[in-house]
Parts: sequence; structure tokens; C-alpha cells
Amino acid sequence: MKLKDHFVSDIPRRKFLNLTLKGGIALMATPALVSQLWSCKSPLPESMVLDLDPGLLQKIIQKALENGGDFAEVYVENRISRNISMEESKFKSGVFGISKGAGVRVIAGDKTGYAYTDELSEAKMLRAAEVASFVARGTKTVPPVDLQKTGRESFITVKVPLGDLADDKRLEVMRRANQAALEYDPKIKMALISYYDEIRGRTIANSEGLYLSDELPLLFFIVQAMGVGNNTRHMARERLSRHSGFEMFDKVSPEEIARKAAREAVVMLKAEDAPAGIMDVVMQNGWGGVLVHEAVGHPLEADNIAKKVGAFTGKLGQKVASDVFTMVDDGSLPNFRGTINFDDEGTQMKRNVLIKNGVLKKYMTDILSAKQIDMERTGNGRRESFRHIPIPRMTNTFIEKGEDNPEDILTSTKEGIYVQSLSGGSVNPITGVFNFTCREAYLIENGEKTTPVKGATLIGNCLDVISGIDAVGNDLEFGPGICGKGQMAEVSAGQPTVRIRNINVGGSRARS
Amino acid sequence: MLAEAEPDLKNLKMVIMDYKILAEQLVKKCLDKGADAAEVYIESGRDLSIEVRNGEVETVREAASHGAGFRVFVEGKTAFSHCNDFSDDALEKAVSSAIAFANNLTPDENNILPEDESVTEVEGLYDPEIAEVDMERKIEMAKEVEQLAMADERITKSSGAGFSEGDSEIVIANSNGLLKSYKSTACSFGVGVVAEKEEQKSTGYEYCRRRFFSDLLPPEQIAEKAARDAYELLDPRMVKTQKAAVIFDPDAARSILGGILAALNGERVIQGASFLAGNMDNKIASGLLTLTDDGTRPKGLGSKPFDGEGVHTRKRILIDKGILKGFMYNTIIARRAGVKSTGNASRRGFRSLPGIGPHNLYMAAGKDSREKIIKATQNGLLLKGATGYGINPVNGNFSGGASGFWIKNGKIVHPVKGLTVAGTADDMLNGIDMVGDDLDLTRSFTAPTFRIREMQIGGER
Repeated sequence: MKLKDHFVSDIPRRKFLNLTLKGGIALMATPALVSQLWSCKSPLPESMVLDLDPGLLQKIIQKALENGGDFAEVYVENRISRNISMEESKFKSGVFGISKGAGVRVIAGDKTGYAYTDELSEAKMLRAAEVASFVARGTKTVPPVDLQKTGRESFITVKVPLGDLADDKRLEVMRRANQAALEYDPKIKMALISYYDEIRGRTIANSEGLYLSDELPLLFFIVQAMGVGNNTRHMARERLSRHSGFEMFDKVSPEEIARKAAREAVVMLKAEDAPAGIMDVVMQNGWGGVLVHEAVGHPLEADNIAKKVGAFTGKLGQKVASDVFTMVDDGSLPNFRGTINFDDEGTQMKRNVLIKNGVLKKYMTDILSAKQIDMERTGNGRRESFRHIPIPRMTNTFIEKGEDNPEDILTSTKEGIYVQSLSGGSVNPITGVFNFTCREAYLIENGEKTTPVKGATLIGNCLDVISGIDAVGNDLEFGPGICGKGQMAEVSAGQPTVRIRNINVGGSRARS
Repeated sequence: MLAEAEPDLKNLKMVIMDYKILAEQLVKKCLDKGADAAEVYIESGRDLSIEVRNGEVETVREAASHGAGFRVFVEGKTAFSHCNDFSDDALEKAVSSAIAFANNLTPDENNILPEDESVTEVEGLYDPEIAEVDMERKIEMAKEVEQLAMADERITKSSGAGFSEGDSEIVIANSNGLLKSYKSTACSFGVGVVAEKEEQKSTGYEYCRRRFFSDLLPPEQIAEKAARDAYELLDPRMVKTQKAAVIFDPDAARSILGGILAALNGERVIQGASFLAGNMDNKIASGLLTLTDDGTRPKGLGSKPFDGEGVHTRKRILIDKGILKGFMYNTIIARRAGVKSTGNASRRGFRSLPGIGPHNLYMAAGKDSREKIIKATQNGLLLKGATGYGINPVNGNFSGGASGFWIKNGKIVHPVKGLTVAGTADDMLNGIDMVGDDLDLTRSFTAPTFRIREMQIGGER
């Protein structure tokens, strides 16, 4: 359904409770649960890009447009993934996944037809083209252009390819993280380590003549540490994720990630009840960027704008935020979690300034919504897998750094809440009503960070919150996340330290 | 690319492919390749989804697909692989990768597969009619529910209506001789609308999901609820920060049930990562709270004859009048806990390892009508929806954004906006003091209206 809330969380949601259509927290089969380990015997790493005959792709596109339609596309994917989990110092499970298939899409005006197949035989792909063409019956056909091999700039470098890696290397980083977490403090009673990697080969061909292939590596490493105190527990977490080779762990060691998680777990055992009500909030740099991801990012995705229901509909060129607020989506940041060379429709990635000094400049589009609202293609057409229709999605979304010194932001805030990290949040993209849940937060008393407080929800409306941002630090940082909008996408969210006036904090006690 | 030759033959092979035979063959393959024990889980199915907006078809998506998951055991070590490519080479690679992988992991004497010959008879899981119904009729249903919802003058926009359906067959075979399969279907339709008034926007949506096509509710009923949910919340007001009673509408109940459910997961209990750990047979909630998980209800959306690893399903009371009576287990965790599997191995398709989860989870109905509960409330919040993560299963904290209505002297006085609601699981579960009689058992995760005596509400200073 269209009205699903959009959420982003910092770890894969393991429990899919919601078996119905309703409620925004529907989790699809997430790639994070798909996985595989390496067989050491493997000779040369095979390319994940399948060797397809362009003549066949052309034939499928032609078939897809046989009944009418102005755009057709074939998307072929080949993914190998590995997911290992360690709990209670044991390697609890290892999952190796092979997923291969093709999706065929036809667009006729505002209509989209989509079909996919697990089998890459000519017969099955032609059948998918025929099913997808159903919606285009009776419309005029825009004749397809001959396919031409296209090149795209790459933003992803690999030094230690995942395909070559022995299992032991993967297990070793997990062991190291586990040990570092447990050794941090006797209060850490358990660590949960999750390792995921994948290589996704993509081939995209469309009726505009585009024909592209590439191979994307992805690594996602999560450490959760459980601290146990007197009658209290806290599950802390820290994550690292990049589109890169295994050299990711040379830059940030598994121990460093584990100690960060352990630190949070121990600190938060002293947490007291959070106060309830409207107050000022200072958000530390980094994953707090999930705030703009939810509150502003989703409402700026052009699908709801094209439908004229989105919260920012008709506000292009208008002042929507305070002067200090500039927001960017940039899928070309080297090796970032939200980076890809080209989106899942083949559009080149680039830096898109969405809001500049408070003025709305751009929406994030895919091919369909770009046409519907007569705007450029911004490179935001993404899909979870060949089973999904591409839709406008964020990549690396952040509040651009400002001029304030982060310490001054804190000291100039008399009282409120200092949010060091958030678990995640969600937004209704139509009304703009959002929420975030704090994982590590403190009281601010007389400009100082004091007592830690238990996980409270922060709520508000997107248009209010970006007008309420009155201080932006010079310390931009990012964090990795999983974004759900009916289908999953890997994203990063970033921000410098910011202050937001008048946010409602869902604490469990009255303010003193 | 696969060979282009004999496409017709390939099609034929797919049609006549007997997944039970294939599953047994694949179990054998795992053992031949060096596994001591193995399980093969095959899922095949077909999905259709239609979306319409403003009376026009917007998307039609259809596909048939299949896949297999392999769980192998080597000297007490276990690993898993999955594969949606049924060519011999790919299946071979998936099996050998899992076995190679298992060799690297940690052995555990609890790593076993179930032995269970019994199957629960569950009626009404498969409706052959759904696939026979004309595509045009399904499109019409989506268009009709949208049109009806838009008929209310307070509704200004449609955010889309849809129809979706799916059927699937699940086959599980393991090296203990277990071989089971079942087929199931589901279909649903619904609509989302926007009500606008000046600068205000409010959204509402409603859907109906059933195993049988003929059981779908009339579109009028769906449309009316979607429209009402949207316009009812126009002109909301904020209230002061205070402690007050909170009445949970069935739509908001899942925000509580989710956290309780996660805390009832036997694995989290063993790990000490559950606020309910160590509380078996203790009073953990008000005597008005009874929570049941039922995998056997006829036509239930969460019903199935056996769980994600082939253990027969049953009906179990987890919390009985406030007393904690049972946790949920799959085979491996049950063995670790020294108990038997409760038939709660959950699986999110062939790509997922068996976890632990419920089937149809519901809070038992009480005696009071919803009207009576509202009437009995002097000052409080009728919670229609709560955003956020619900109850934290590790420590029991609860905090969320609230939408709904304010109640004064037993009457709804206005919708609310920008409020938060918070508490602890202990206070909330023990604070349930009225439970409604309006339980809707057609949902798989459901509760009647109920009231919690007092919670912290965050709003104006």
C-alpha cells in the first residue's frame, strides 16, 4: 500500500511481526539476512556480472513494448552473499546465498507493469516481458533505440576483494570484536556480532539504448553489546558499513567498533527516566542524520510529489527551513554505504543539493517521477533486488556542515536533551509527522551534558523541525543504516552537531 | 546466459516438478556431500499486486518464483545456504558451500533437527478460486474501494488503492525422515486517502486480508474506515504534559504486543536479553491479560500445519490471567533450555534460517464494550496509533509518538497532535484495568480495545 510509513533503522529487524499490509514497519526479505561464506577451494573469483547476449536483451525490450508503452527495461541481477552471526562467543550461524534473476518493466504514461523471473532462459524472460506489457495494452509504442554499451564513472574502489577472501578472515574479525567487547568491562555479559557481505552483479538495458553492467561489493559489520547492571540491562550497538573490499577493517578495527558498543552499554546502565514534554535537543554529529533522512529526506522523494500528496508538494523554490540549513543527497561519496556507481535504472550518481540555505531546490527522482514532475533524473532510482520495481530512494543524505563550534552549541543550550545516538525512526511522508528513538541520550543542564536518560522517542513535524534548527556545527559525520520503504535499501545518513528548538520528548517522568 | 535450446521442455519440467521428490533428493545430496544431517526447505509460489490511483491502474506486478534453503550439520556444527537457481550446478554449489561453511563454525550438542511425524490439520488455508478470478475484477475492486473512500467530501486525495494476492507451497524434508508440505493462499485489498483542511493533512488507510477471496469484506466497509481514520484526526490539539489513562485502540495494540512477543522468545530469555527472563509462573501482568498463540485456527492468516522446521503447530496460552505460562521455542533452543519445541520455528521464506516467532497471537477479549471503557475514563488518551519501536524487549522501556483522541469526563473531546506516551512494561502490563469485547480474530496479531490506568504523556509545558 502507498501509505506505509518509511523507516530507517540501524540494524536489520530480525523479527517480522507484521504479516499484514498495514503498518509501516513491514520488513521484506532483507538482503542482510541473505548470505554466504567463502569456499576456499575456489580458483579465480568469478565475475558476478552475467554474460548476457545484448541481442537477447534487445529482443526482450522489443517484446515488452509490443502492446504499447513508452519505456521498457530489463534488469538482471546476480548476487552472492554471506552472513555470519556470533552470539555468546559461539559462531551461531552462517548463511551462504545465491540469488539470480531478471525483472522486466514497462512504463506507459503513469502506468508501470513489472514481472520477474528466477530463470534467465529466453523463454522465461520473454514471458516476463509479456506479463509486464499487460498495463500498456492499447497505448502507443515509443520504438526502442538500439542498445549501446555505456560506461559510468566508478565511486567504489576495492583493494582486498571479498570474492578472494578465505572464511577465516571473516571469522577472525568477529572473534576480535567479541573479545574486545567482553574485555571492555565485566558488566558486558554478552556480545552479538553480525557480519554480512555480498557482491551484486547488475546489468541494465533499456529502450533508450542504455546498456550497463557493474559489480558492487558491500560489507556490513554490527556489534551489539549487552550490559547488565542492578536490575537493568542495555543493549548497545555500533556499526560499520561500506561498499568496499575487506580493507574496510584496516581503516577501522573490529576492536574499535566493539569498544564503542561496550562503552555505550556500560554508560547507559546508569540511565534514569527521561523527562517528558517539549524541550530543546542537541544532536551529536553522525548517525543523528537519520533525523533529516526521515523528517526531510523521505518527504523530498519525488514519487509522493508526483502524486501531489507529499508534504513538500508545490514548495519548490520556497523557503522551507532556517538559513543555516542546507541538505544534500550524494550517491557519489567514495565507498560510502549509500554510494553506487549508477542507480538501479542506470542513471549516473552525483551530488544533489536538495535544500540550500533553507530554500527547496530539488526533489529526488527516478525515471518515472522525473518525467511526471518534469525534472532531471537525480540518480535516486533504486531497488532491493530484481524482485522489486525501482522507486525514488535516498543514498547518502546529510545536513551540510555549518560554522558553529559543536561545544558552543552545547554550552549555549541551557536545558534540554543531548542525543548522542539514535536507534532509528520513521515518517509519514504525506503529513510529515516523524519519530525517532534515542539509544544514548543525556540531560542538558546549564549547558552541560549530565545524567544519561533511557531511550525516549522524539517526535515532530518535518516542516517545524527544519525551521527549528538554529545551530549547525562544523563537524559533519555519517552513520550506516537500512532504509525501508516497502523494500530495503542501504543508505547512510549524516549531520554535524545541530540544535533543534522545541521538540517533544517522550520521556516517562514529568519534568522536575 | 542459459542455453536457449528447448525452452518448451524447460517449461514443462517446471510444471511437473514435484518439490517433495526434489526435496528428498536434495537431502540425500547433502548427506552424500558429507553432512551428518540435513534439512531442505523449498518454497514456490506466485504473487500478484495491483495498484490504482485516481481511478487508473498505476502498477501491475506479477511473478512466479521458487527457492530452496539448505541447513546442514557436520559434527555438531551447522550452516545454511539458499539458492533460487534450480540448475544442477547451482544446487550443487549451494550444498557444498553450506557444508564447507559448517566446518568453520562452533559445534554445539544442541544443534539437532526435529523428529516429528504429526501434522496439525488446519482447515481453510488454500483457496483455489483466487487465481481463477479475472484480473479485471481485481482491478475493479481496487478502483471501487478507492472511489468509495473518495466519496466523502472531507477526503481530498487518494494515495492509492490496491489488490494483492499470493499462493505458495512449502515443502520441508529432513534426514530424520520428516517430509511435509502444505499450500496456502492469501489475498487483500485496501485504500489510503488524505483528508485536508487549510494547511492540515491527515492520512487514513484500511485493508482487508483473508485466505479466501470470498471472505473479503465489502469495499464499503474498508472505504469508510480509511476515510474516517483520515478526517477524524483533523483539527487536533495538544494537551499539557501529564499522567493520564491510555486506552489502546486495536490498531495501536501491536505497539505493545510486539515487545512482549520479543520478550517471550525462548532464545532471548536464555541469553538474559528479555525483561521476562526468570519470571515463569510469576504474575507479570494484570489478571485481565491473557495472551494466546494459535497456529491452528481455521482460515487464520498465521495458521499452518507445521512450523518453519516441520514441527506441528498448536494452540498455546503464553500469559494466563497475568501469570507467565510459556515461552516460544524452536528445536535447537528448546533442547538448550531442556524443553520440547513449541512449534514456533519461524521462517521468512527460503532465504531465512528458522528463528522463533508466533502464528496467530492475540490478547483475549474482555467483558466491557469499547463505549463503556471510554465512558469510564475521566481524563485520558484514546490511542489510535503509536510510532516508534514499542516496548524494548531487553529492558521493558516504552516510548512512542501518539495519535488519537483526548477524553474528558467519559467523552471524546478532540483529536490530539504532537504527543508522546511512555512507560515501563511492568507498569503497563500490571496497569491494564479494562479490556474490551471487540477482538477481531481475522487478524494474525491482534488485541481488543484495552485501558492502562496511567501512563506519562508528553505535550505542552
